Amino acid sequence: MNKIKSFFSSFFKKDETKTVVTSLWCALLGLVLGFVILLCINTKEAADGMATILGNFFVFQNADDRWNYFGQTLAKTAPLIAMSVSVLVCYKAGLFNLGASGQYSIAVLVITFMGVAANWPWWLVMIGAMVAGALWSMISGVLKAFFNVNEVISGIMLNWIALYLVNGILTANSAIWDSSHSEAYKITDGSNALIPSVGLDRLFAGNSIVGLGMILILVVTIVIFVLFKKTTIGYELKATGFNPDAADYAGMNKVKNILVATAISGALAGLAASLQVQNGFTSWRLSSTIPSIGFQGISAAFLGGLHPIGVLFSSYFIEHISEGGSMITDLGFAPEVAGIITSAIIYLAGFVAFLKEMIRKSEVKDELRRLSRDKAVKK
Amino acid sequence: MDDVYAIEMLSITKRFGSLLANDHIDLRLKKGHILAVCGENGAGKSTLMSILFGLYEPDSGIIKKDGAEVKITNPNDATKLHIGMVHQHFKLVDTFTVLQNIILGEETIKEYRGHLNVFKRCFNWLNKHLFKIIDYQRARAEVQQIIDQYDLRVDLDKKVKDLSVEMQQKVEIIKMLYRKNDILIFDEPTAVLAEQEIQGFLQILRNLKKEGKSILFITHKLNEIFEVCDEITIIRKGKSIDTLAVKDTNKEEVSAMMVGRKLDMNQTKPSPVTGNEILRVEHLTLVDPNSKKRIVNDVCFNVRAGEIVTLAGIDGNGQQEVVYGIAGMKKSQSGSVFLHQEDISSYSVRKRIQAGLSHIPEDRQKYGLVLDYSIYENAVLDRYYEKSFSKCLFLNQKSIREYGDELTEKYDVRSSGDGSTVVRSMSGGNQQKIIVGREIERGVDLLLAVQPTRGIDVGAIETIHNLLLEQRKAGKAILLVSLELDQVLALSDRILVMYEGEIVGEFTPDSVDKETLGLYMTGAKKDKVNAIKENGHE
Repeated sequence: MNKIKSFFSSFFKKDETKTVVTSLWCALLGLVLGFVILLCINTKEAADGMATILGNFFVFQNADDRWNYFGQTLAKTAPLIAMSVSVLVCYKAGLFNLGASGQYSIAVLVITFMGVAANWPWWLVMIGAMVAGALWSMISGVLKAFFNVNEVISGIMLNWIALYLVNGILTANSAIWDSSHSEAYKITDGSNALIPSVGLDRLFAGNSIVGLGMILILVVTIVIFVLFKKTTIGYELKATGFNPDAADYAGMNKVKNILVATAISGALAGLAASLQVQNGFTSWRLSSTIPSIGFQGISAAFLGGLHPIGVLFSSYFIEHISEGGSMITDLGFAPEVAGIITSAIIYLAGFVAFLKEMIRKSEVKDELRRLSRDKAVKK
Repeated sequence: MDDVYAIEMLSITKRFGSLLANDHIDLRLKKGHILAVCGENGAGKSTLMSILFGLYEPDSGIIKKDGAEVKITNPNDATKLHIGMVHQHFKLVDTFTVLQNIILGEETIKEYRGHLNVFKRCFNWLNKHLFKIIDYQRARAEVQQIIDQYDLRVDLDKKVKDLSVEMQQKVEIIKMLYRKNDILIFDEPTAVLAEQEIQGFLQILRNLKKEGKSILFITHKLNEIFEVCDEITIIRKGKSIDTLAVKDTNKEEVSAMMVGRKLDMNQTKPSPVTGNEILRVEHLTLVDPNSKKRIVNDVCFNVRAGEIVTLAGIDGNGQQEVVYGIAGMKKSQSGSVFLHQEDISSYSVRKRIQAGLSHIPEDRQKYGLVLDYSIYENAVLDRYYEKSFSKCLFLNQKSIREYGDELTEKYDVRSSGDGSTVVRSMSGGNQQKIIVGREIERGVDLLLAVQPTRGIDVGAIETIHNLLLEQRKAGKAILLVSLELDQVLALSDRILVMYEGEIVGEFTPDSVDKETLGLYMTGAKKDKVNAIKENGHE
């Protein structure tokens, strides 16, 4: 009996367990808050609305429809995973990649030219997108490494520069700009630049946007996991993130590490763009706001406990409720409501670190109380 | 003699865990006098002053002000009793003007002084409790009066960040006077000042005294004490040794009392067998990028195989920076560093490490360890890239683990678990053993050890002393930086005393006593030294 007890107590004291528990709490809190918002808007339909958000593709009666929409959720999760891993890589190295959206935008620009206009093979386009993202991200890296410019500030600035740059260049090229929809032309079926389905579309009831990308992102996530766990590069990046002074002392090259971290991170943001656009589902839309995927990536990274494997689940969760949220318009909710709910949940994800701290503090308090009780008993 | 005491601290005791910081210390400050509180680093001065200012509560002992017992549990109590303190690191808001800083927290609130009685009451009540509109005009007049009275010229409208350190200190002083404090505590106020600024500061102290303020002056610079103070209380290892009237004593007596005449640690060590020169430092100069002060000024010395050379001195006289300069962690302004006759001055930190330099840094948590890494990961912090620990970018976890286990075993590193324990959870002594072990095990010829026994328990200190002596016996060159004279005398073969960035004295431990070292460390005595020793020229 005691053995089991001690196993559980040590299990719950483990840092990983704590992270998982807090993440689950945050997700739950977010859902409760979302429900409260639904209740405020329309008391009658709130329960149904919540069920739709949580159910997502389960709301369909038809098995084929379910598979189809499940596939769609998965396919849309892939870029979010890439984005959150991008944020995570920088974070581990002590940097905060708030410029992921900008890197994503530049990558979309490159994809549109290489994929839509030039019709290059998909893998070449993907590499192009990653290189573009990496280079854009390294602008922040260079500024940080050589001039000590805060990467958060430069990242935000570069987001806006990228946004208007992409808007400007794409709209000026009538060959790739579909002005009637005010968006760039999508990558069409049969194009070289389309990421192949490798038969996965048949598994998901012919949903053609499901494809190799999902497998690729799993592989990349595992590569990043291994990078941090097993390689000298990861060892250096983490040391720099945990304690830059000690990294200096040990002779690690700060400039190199900043550049490596920003380059990997940017490449992953570029990959996110590739996974988003190269399935022919979406393209660049004229917009005056920064693509939100970069910020969702931050939420997913934190909700996933800043762990590559945790990020897989948190990204899916966020995408799942976003997709579900887009369906509640059928129940008479305004389409914006879905946005409110999902952002409430996503923002609560940022509470992970905060909650973890609360748990730690309450543990310390318990410990102190126990100590003082012991003292009292002795007296 | 008028025995009116402004402050009496009687039998103050304060314990931090196992460390007895203050052990029944008595301190009496006479009204209108300047009392110097002096002692070595870690003697307990700052703790005592923090108790008086309410930052710590004493475990036992009483404090009396003007003969009546008072309770000071937080700085607000101290302020109410008109006790003010200028901390070593100023507590000013950089982006506020001088005037704003001075009145911060004690703002003069606007008052309506007209004849409309009802309006006057309403307005004044509302302003006092709600709007709190500041009456800068009146505040300025009050501050100006203080400035004139004490001759403390400062531009009230300048922002604090644009002021020199000397001026910022004046602002701190005016701040205390504005709060009508009559007991003023200065915690090592001259440590941040240049020589001529110190004279100005001492003049301010005299002015304050003339106006009837009672002053506690913490310092270990004896010259200053003998210039302005009336009495000296000497504290050593948490105990008050004695209180003397300045006119009845001399520097030699005070410095002897400061460092203690206790017998040295009974460590017999064989005489050194010095070999080839391993490290040579020539004309090394480091400039602080902020203050543009020369923190290391034209320092020359060498360390030969088989000897321990110690840089002694009071904290902050440039010893640590010399080591940073050698290890490459701070850029030197000029001068060169030779390791095995090879000029390494332009090398990166990594290249210097590879050239054969190991370094036990002064601050183990800031530099020496990644606290969130495990023992294993920290054991290879500066050699993870070596062939034995990694193969084409992949860490060799198995060999790292084996090596880490070997290290913990050999250097008796204790933790709650195995080598995968995160070092943050370990005690300071055990953390230090990881670093010492790691650096010694690299097996290179030069070891830089900066305060290797700082803040660790007696047992671990002894272990580390023995390890250093073993390394010396094995023919390694060791450069030690230490603030503790006992340690300096017990371990060194040559002692170089540093004062304000320069080497001001060179001694061998058997030809010098603590009193003399104390004189050199406090700047009372100075020699011109070039400490490069050739073999056979001794």
